[in-house]
Amino acid sequence: MKLLTHNLLSSHVRGVGPRGFPLRLQATEVRINPVEFNPDFVARMIPKVEWAALLEAAETLHLVEVPKGPIEGYEHDEKFLRQMHHVLLEVDVLEGTLQCPESGRLFPISRGIPNMLLSDEETET
Amino acid sequence: MAATPPSPVGLTRRCPRTERGQGWRERAPGMVRGHGPVGVRCGCSRGVYAAPLSPLGWGTSDCSPGGVRPALSGLPSLVLGVSGCGFSQVYVTDVYRVPAVRQALRSGTSSRRQFSGLARPPNSIAMDSNSQSNYKLSKTEKKFLRKQIKARHTLLRHEGIETVSYATQSLVVANGGLGNGVSRNQLLPVLEKYGLVDALLMPPHKPYSFVRYRTAEEAKKAYVTLNGKEIVDDLGQKILLYLNFVEKAQWKELGLQALPPGLMVVEEIISSEDEKMLLESINWTEDIDNQNVQKYLKHRRVKHFGYEFHYENNNVDKDMPLPGGLPGICDSFLEKWLKEGFIKHKPDQLTVNQYEPGHGIPAHIDTHSAFEDEIVSLSLGSEIVMDFKHPDGVTVPVMLPRRSLLVMTGESRYLWTHGITPRKFDTVQASKGLQSGIITSDVGDLTLSKRGMRTSFTFRKVRQTPCNCSYPLVCDSQMKETPPSFPESAREASQLEQDYVHRVYEEIAEHFSSTRHTPWPRVVEFLKSLPCGSLVADVGCGNGKYLGVNKELYMIGCDRSQKLVDICRERCFQALVCDALAVPLCSGSCDACISIAVIHHFSTAERRVAALQELVRLLRPGGQALVYVWAMEQEYNKKKSKYLRENRISQGKEEGTSSDTAMPELLVEQVPNVGSRDSECCVSSVTDLPEGGHKARTVTNAKLPVHTNRTSFPSQDLLVPWHHQGNPGEGKPGHPAGAHDPGPVFHRYYHVFCEGELEATCQTLNSVSILQSYYDQGNWCVILQKV
Repeated sequence: MKLLTHNLLSSHVRGVGPRGFPLRLQATEVRINPVEFNPDFVARMIPKVEWAALLEAAETLHLVEVPKGPIEGYEHDEKFLRQMHHVLLEVDVLEGTLQCPESGRLFPISRGIPNMLLSDEETET
Repeated sequence: MAATPPSPVGLTRRCPRTERGQGWRERAPGMVRGHGPVGVRCGCSRGVYAAPLSPLGWGTSDCSPGGVRPALSGLPSLVLGVSGCGFSQVYVTDVYRVPAVRQALRSGTSSRRQFSGLARPPNSIAMDSNSQSNYKLSKTEKKFLRKQIKARHTLLRHEGIETVSYATQSLVVANGGLGNGVSRNQLLPVLEKYGLVDALLMPPHKPYSFVRYRTAEEAKKAYVTLNGKEIVDDLGQKILLYLNFVEKAQWKELGLQALPPGLMVVEEIISSEDEKMLLESINWTEDIDNQNVQKYLKHRRVKHFGYEFHYENNNVDKDMPLPGGLPGICDSFLEKWLKEGFIKHKPDQLTVNQYEPGHGIPAHIDTHSAFEDEIVSLSLGSEIVMDFKHPDGVTVPVMLPRRSLLVMTGESRYLWTHGITPRKFDTVQASKGLQSGIITSDVGDLTLSKRGMRTSFTFRKVRQTPCNCSYPLVCDSQMKETPPSFPESAREASQLEQDYVHRVYEEIAEHFSSTRHTPWPRVVEFLKSLPCGSLVADVGCGNGKYLGVNKELYMIGCDRSQKLVDICRERCFQALVCDALAVPLCSGSCDACISIAVIHHFSTAERRVAALQELVRLLRPGGQALVYVWAMEQEYNKKKSKYLRENRISQGKEEGTSSDTAMPELLVEQVPNVGSRDSECCVSSVTDLPEGGHKARTVTNAKLPVHTNRTSFPSQDLLVPWHHQGNPGEGKPGHPAGAHDPGPVFHRYYHVFCEGELEATCQTLNSVSILQSYYDQGNWCVILQKV
């Protein structure tokens, strides 16, 4: 699971709503996967990123060199873009958990795949 | 257009014309087999349905009252509540919304005026035949008119013959054809009375002919006088002719000119001497057992060896073999046939049938659970034409010459019915004489062949284990297991999906994935049209087929099946496991979504809507979603024009009895075959929504039918088999089913969509506009935009 993906995930436990974001990340196994750098792509991602959530996740993973926010003229700042590229796309969480901040429900990440299935009771009206 | 479906005002419980109270029967708002969701059915009609209302209400009208609206013939009509006695109630809010109507209007084949009677407010009851000039018709006249219209409809739907309401030189003579025992020398003199006949075309096996007169006036004379006239056929039976004008004499050519798959006829497999010997060896003197059997068989004599065949249940008693086994003389033949490869298994049951001319056997499939695959039949004494019918309606007549061996295996044994029409003459090919094979359709090369006494020796092998063929719909072994029923609650729906969707995909994931490798072009087109850096969710991503199509997008796949998501992961895509009804992505976070072949797995309308609503929730304003669902209307049948889309209405006989008289008379109720189903364009599931006064429906315990591959869908809600071994491309309609294979079979639940249904469902969503709606590769598709 990449951090960009994590940035979009929200808990859908009943009744939680927007308070289900962001999911608290805990990782036991992380891998760095090189990904081809596409500056245009990364630049377009920047406005869509929820920074607080990203920083929180990066913190738990003890990542370094993580920009604190978009800087002026970031579209042309290669260093910035490369750093963001790394954080968003190259960090892969293989094993760990995601926790709903509101309900505490834990979702496992296994072999890089988060399992967000809720049980029947959790989805019943 | 009304925003909410009007309530069913005026849809009374009594048919206003016949005053018959029992006429209107409320069907389960969920299901009527073959017709999908309906509301009320008028029993006095020939099964025309009145449907509850919706902005895109669909109904099908078989008989327009008194021939009033010929423009609607064959079209899926917006006339709802047309009863066979001529009364109709109309609830349509906007004629233009219906694609078929729009099409007809656009193509200029009908005028707006012809549909204008439809757009009336719900509480005015419009358009009954009282308003027409044939108000004072007598009962017989009205009945005749109805039959004539029915003939017209049937000709159009089944034969592609378009009749016109103005006079031309050519007429189609329904019930006056070779197929129903009317010969040329009977019909021609009758027709010649009214004018100079340019040509009389009598297509073989068809219950109609075409006559072309020199002038339209002569044709008109014939039409006026002969319509409804009684003539006498070959066997002395009375027949009523129905005439209609046509532009030209044209009928659907039998596309399938091949023998049913698995069928083989081996000619001259025994000598004349052997034939004589075999015939003489049968002792027909009645013994007690035979007398009991005779009460079931009106038409022929039978004798059994090896095991007795019981006609009460069409099965054998495996625990009670008959003493003596097969007659000794058969041994040498069977050994020879085995050695030469004409048969693969040594049979242990023999039925000898003797058919006098005029005898026949009703169309049937030999019981699956009784006998193994291979069934062979030796024809002695006389040749015969045997009719093979596919459940979709295709009939192939096959000539079985004297001393030939008919071998039925696979599809021809398990799926096609076979039968012999009780008649004294067969239509055979003049030039080829009595050679085996399909009877030609060349109208100029046909002759009649008088039947003689025929004896058949049918050898079969009794089955010791249940049948597990690929044709569950017609298989008594497989149909014995209690089929699942249509869900009546959210929990049942969820359980049904668990059993018949999720569990199955987990089992078949790898095999399934291997069959899903080619991305569909229009989906690719959609993805490639998105700007670089778009965030896209693929809800129900399966094996990730689309996740890598456009490298400039950030795509996240979600699927319910862990195994399928694993496959995505192996391909280095971002994917997670979740339910499509609860996608764990932030609202408004996606620039686009796709959901390809997913929503049809939800078993209730509510859940399908919820799935769509979830897709919309994920979209940011302006974002687009692409949805594909399986169409009821298969590609297989798509070659037909809209006019020919199956709109057949159940005659009220469901499985039905097989009839002894298999004569294809045009206006007789269809002889229902086992497994014969009609695909039906029907009321959208919008009507199921808890909206605007509609109560939660009370669904009767409707069972879900199992689809048989290579046939049309039996209904909108069904189970589709997946054969786990050796069947690439299985599970899609129109794909060849391959040889009969014994791998484990999984049933997946589907709700296939009618034309317009997906659109209608999307229209109920909040803050959504439909950008595009189309048909692609057996799917109905929409592109939605969040406003």
